[in-house]
Amino acid sequence: MSFLQPWLLAALPLVALPIIIHLINQRRYQTVRWGAMMFLLTANRMARGFARLRQYLIMAARMLAIAGLVFAVSRPLASGWLGLAAGGRPDTTIIVLDRSPSMQQKGIGGGDSKLATGVHQLAQTLATLKSAHWILIDSVTKKPVQLDSPEALLKSPAAEPTSAASDLPGLLEAAYEYTQANKSGRTDIWICSDLRQNDWNPRSGRWQALRESLLSLRQGVRINLLAYPEAAEGNFSVRVSDVRRVQNGPAADLVLSVRLAREGEDQSRASIPLHFEIDGARTEVMVEMDKSPYELKDYRIPLESKQPRSWGKVTIPADLNPADNDFYFAFEKPVPRHAIVVVEDNQVARSLQLAAAITPDPGITCSAEVVAAEQVANVEWEKVSLLLWQGPLPEGEAARHVQEFIKRGGYAIFLPPKVPGDREFLAARWKSWTDSASKDALVANWRGDQDLLANTQSGAQLPVGQLQIHRYCQLAGDFTPLAGLQGGSPLLARSTQNHSGAYFLATTTSPADSSLATDGVVLYVLVQRAMAAGAASLGTIRQLAAGEALPANLPDSWQRLAGPEDALSGAYPVHRGVYLAGDQLLAINRPMEEDQAPILDDGRVADLFAGLNFIRVDHRAGHIGILIEEIWRPFLFAMIVALIVEAALCLPRYVAKAGSPS
Amino acid sequence: MFKDRRTRSFLDAAALSRLAAVPLFARRPMQGTVSGRHPSPHRGSSVEFAEYRKYVPGDDLRRLDWRAYGRSDRFYVKEFEADTNLRCCLVLDTSGSMGFGPAGATKLDYARRIAGALGYLALQQGDAVGLSCVANGLARNILPKRNPAHLIALFDLLEETRPHGETQLALVLHELAETIRQRALIVIISDLFVEPDLLGSCFQHLRFRRHDVAVFHLLEAQEMEFNFRRPMRFLDMEGGTSIFADPTEIADRYHRALNAYLTELRRVVLESSVDYHRVLLDENYERVLTRFLVGRAHGKGAQ
Repeated sequence: MSFLQPWLLAALPLVALPIIIHLINQRRYQTVRWGAMMFLLTANRMARGFARLRQYLIMAARMLAIAGLVFAVSRPLASGWLGLAAGGRPDTTIIVLDRSPSMQQKGIGGGDSKLATGVHQLAQTLATLKSAHWILIDSVTKKPVQLDSPEALLKSPAAEPTSAASDLPGLLEAAYEYTQANKSGRTDIWICSDLRQNDWNPRSGRWQALRESLLSLRQGVRINLLAYPEAAEGNFSVRVSDVRRVQNGPAADLVLSVRLAREGEDQSRASIPLHFEIDGARTEVMVEMDKSPYELKDYRIPLESKQPRSWGKVTIPADLNPADNDFYFAFEKPVPRHAIVVVEDNQVARSLQLAAAITPDPGITCSAEVVAAEQVANVEWEKVSLLLWQGPLPEGEAARHVQEFIKRGGYAIFLPPKVPGDREFLAARWKSWTDSASKDALVANWRGDQDLLANTQSGAQLPVGQLQIHRYCQLAGDFTPLAGLQGGSPLLARSTQNHSGAYFLATTTSPADSSLATDGVVLYVLVQRAMAAGAASLGTIRQLAAGEALPANLPDSWQRLAGPEDALSGAYPVHRGVYLAGDQLLAINRPMEEDQAPILDDGRVADLFAGLNFIRVDHRAGHIGILIEEIWRPFLFAMIVALIVEAALCLPRYVAKAGSPS
Repeated sequence: MFKDRRTRSFLDAAALSRLAAVPLFARRPMQGTVSGRHPSPHRGSSVEFAEYRKYVPGDDLRRLDWRAYGRSDRFYVKEFEADTNLRCCLVLDTSGSMGFGPAGATKLDYARRIAGALGYLALQQGDAVGLSCVANGLARNILPKRNPAHLIALFDLLEETRPHGETQLALVLHELAETIRQRALIVIISDLFVEPDLLGSCFQHLRFRRHDVAVFHLLEAQEMEFNFRRPMRFLDMEGGTSIFADPTEIADRYHRALNAYLTELRRVVLESSVDYHRVLLDENYERVLTRFLVGRAHGKGAQ
C-alpha cells in the first residue's frame, strides 16, 4: 500500500497510546480500605476468561481506531505499487509515452487501445499523485514538452497514436538530459509502453550508460513502468513487400507481393480477404493463409489508369490492432537505370559493364557507360543510378561530383586500384594488396539479412561462399563490413558516412584477382541491387517507413492524399498514408520491425532497470479499473467500527448485575 | 431511665418511642425466670387455656374442673399457658471489616443502633439482655440481666467497642451456643464475612440448643455495587494481604462470587430457620427494626 501523505504515518506510534494510558492508569491507582475481601479473593481465584479477553479486545479496538484514523489521514492508495509516492510529492514528473503502432492494439472484446487506456490511466493517476511540473516526452518528437496538468495529456496531440516505432532508450536519455539540464528535484519517470522488443532494443549498449547516468543523478529518480505486455494473439498484419508497375503492351499491370503475418502460436488455416484500392478502383482477393508469415507473390492487377505514377493501399478486416491492417504504396513507371563505369583495367570494365547493362526485367531499361576518370565532371549525374569505380579513389573535382552524387541518393561501388595510393575518400582508403598464394582466400561470412548481399526473396542465400578470392586489397578507415574473408579482412564494406550508398569491394572482377566475373551471379546481383537502389532516388515516388530520416531534398509542406484524417500536417511523416511533397509521391507505413515484434519478458525488463528505483505494474488495454484510487473511506469506516466495538465492550454490564443480589 | 442523662450517639429517643409500640416477641417458647410476655414450654397460671389433663393424686384439688366432672363423671385438671420473660443475647461483630463505610455511618455504627434499640426494647418489656462482642474471639461479654441499670453497662460497652481484628464469628457462635442457657433469643449483628457452610453449622448448633436466632446481615452499598472505575489497591480491614485489581476487569467475577455467597447464605438460613434480615447501610434502621418486630409479632407462637 502507498500513501499520498506518507509523512503522516509518522503518527503511527500513537497506536500505542491506549497501552501507554493503560499503563499510566495502572500506576495512578487508589487505595481503599475494604471489608469484603473474601469476594475479591474468590474473584481472583476464578478463571478470568472473557473478562481478560474483553480487556484485550477493548485495547485492540482502541488501537485499531487510532491506526484507522492515522491511515485515513495519510490518504492511502489502492494499488499494488509498493512504495509508490513513499517520498511524497515529486518535483517533476516525466511521462515517457510509447506511441508506436503496436500500442494501438485493443483489448479483447474491443474498447480502448493500449495507448488510449494508458494515457487515460496516467492522467487519472498522476492527477491523484500531484507534482510540481509535468513533462511529456513522446516517442516521435523525443523532446520534453511541459504540460499544465495531467489532464492535458488527454487532449495533447503528442499523445495520439502514430505509425512510427519508438526508441525507448532514446526517450529515457531525453528524460535524463532534461532532469540534468533543469536540475529538477525528485523526479518520477512514468513509462507507458507495450514492451515490444523493437521499441526497447534491449541489446543496445545505451542501456548500460543510461542506468549509470540515472544512478548518478543526485536528486533521485524513480521509474514507474505502466506496461501493457498483452500479446495480440491472432492479430493479422499486412505489408506490401514489393510493388512494380509493369508495362504490358499498351496497358500496364501492377505486380504486388503482399506479406501476411499472424501473431501468436496459432498456425491454423485462415481465409483472409485482401482489399486493394488503386486509383479508386477496388479489388478483393481471398487468400488462404496456411502458415505465418504468408506471402502472396507477384499478384498482378491490371491498371486502368494511364498515369505513369499513382498510389494504392491494401487492407485486411479489422482485428485487435487496426494500425497494421492497411498498407499504402506508390508506384510509377520504372526509371531507366544508368551506370557509370570508371576503371583502369579493361578486363574489369567489361565484366562490370555487362553486369550493369543486362536488365533483370524486360520492362526496365538498363545501360552502362565506361568513362575515364578525367571525364567524370562531364557526366550527367542526375540520370545516373550507380557508379562503379575501379582505380585510385577520386580526388579533387571528381571527388566533389561523386560525393554530391552519393548525397543525392546515388549508389557507388569502389574497387581497388592496381597500386593503392594514400588517397582517402569517405573516410576510407586502400592499403595494400594481399596474395592468397598457398590457398585461395574464401569468404568467411556475409550479411544475408540485409543490404546488397541479402538473401533472395525466396530465402535462398547468394553463392557468396563459393567465390574464390585470389588477391584482395586491404581497406582502412570507417566502414561497416558486409562480407569478410577468412582472416578477418573485409571483402565488401559500406561507408558509414552520411548513410551513404558508397560500398568498397576489396577485390576486382579480374580473373587474376577473383572469380567474381567467372561466377557472375554474386556480381550481377550486387550490381543490380545497387542500381535499383540508386534508381529509386531518381524516381518521383518514395516508399518510406514512418519516423525514418527523410530524403534531404523534400519540401516542408506536404499534401495528404490518403491516410488517417486526424493527423496534423506537421506530423505527416509519422502517420501512415500517401502524401504529395513537391513532385515526390510518398507512401509512408509503419516500420517493418513493428510487425510481429516479440514482447520483452519480465526478467529482461527488470535487468534493464537493475539498480534503479523501479516499479512496474502490468495493465490491460480497455481495462477501466482505476490504477490508483484513494481508499481512505474503508479506513475511516474501520475506525468507526472499532469505536463502536470499543463502546459496546465498555458498556458497564456489571452495573446491571450489581442490582441483582437481593 | 438514665441516671447520668448521658446522650448516646446510637440512640434516638423518638425512634425508640415509636418502636416501643410493637413488642418484641420470641418465635418459639422461651425459658425465662420470671413471668413475661413470651410463651413458656411449661404450663402456668395465665388466663390463656392450654389443655385438660387427667387428675393424678397429688394434684392441687383447686385446679379440678368441676363442670367437666359433672358432665363426664371423671376428674380433669384444667391447665393454662405459662408466660415468661426471655434472655436476649445480642452478638455484635466488632471485627475490622465492621469499620467499613463512611465516617460516622460505618457498619459498626449501624450495628450499635440496632443493638442499642433492641436492648432497650427488650429490657423495657422485662426481658434480660446481654451483649457479646465478637472479633478474634469473644472480646467482651455481658451476661443477660433484666435490671434496667444493666442497660447502662450495655450501652457503655456498645460505645466503647471499636472494629478491630479478624472475624472468628463461627467459633464464637459455637461457644455461645454451648454457654448460653437453652431457649434464648440470639440476635447476631454482623457483615457475616464467613463461609456460609461454617455459618450453617453454627446456626444448626444454636437451633439444636433451641435458641431463637435472628441475624442482621449488614452490607454497604459499595460492596454490592463494586462500581469503582480506576485501578484500586484494596487494603484488608482485618489485616490480611492487600489486593491490587482493575475493577473493570474483576468486577464481573466479584459479582459472581458475591451472588454465589448470597445464594448459599439464603439456603443456609432457610435450612436453619434463622430470622435473617439483609440490611443495606443506606436503609433507615428504624424501618429495619420495625420490619423485624412486626414480622415477629405475626409469627408469635410459631414453634
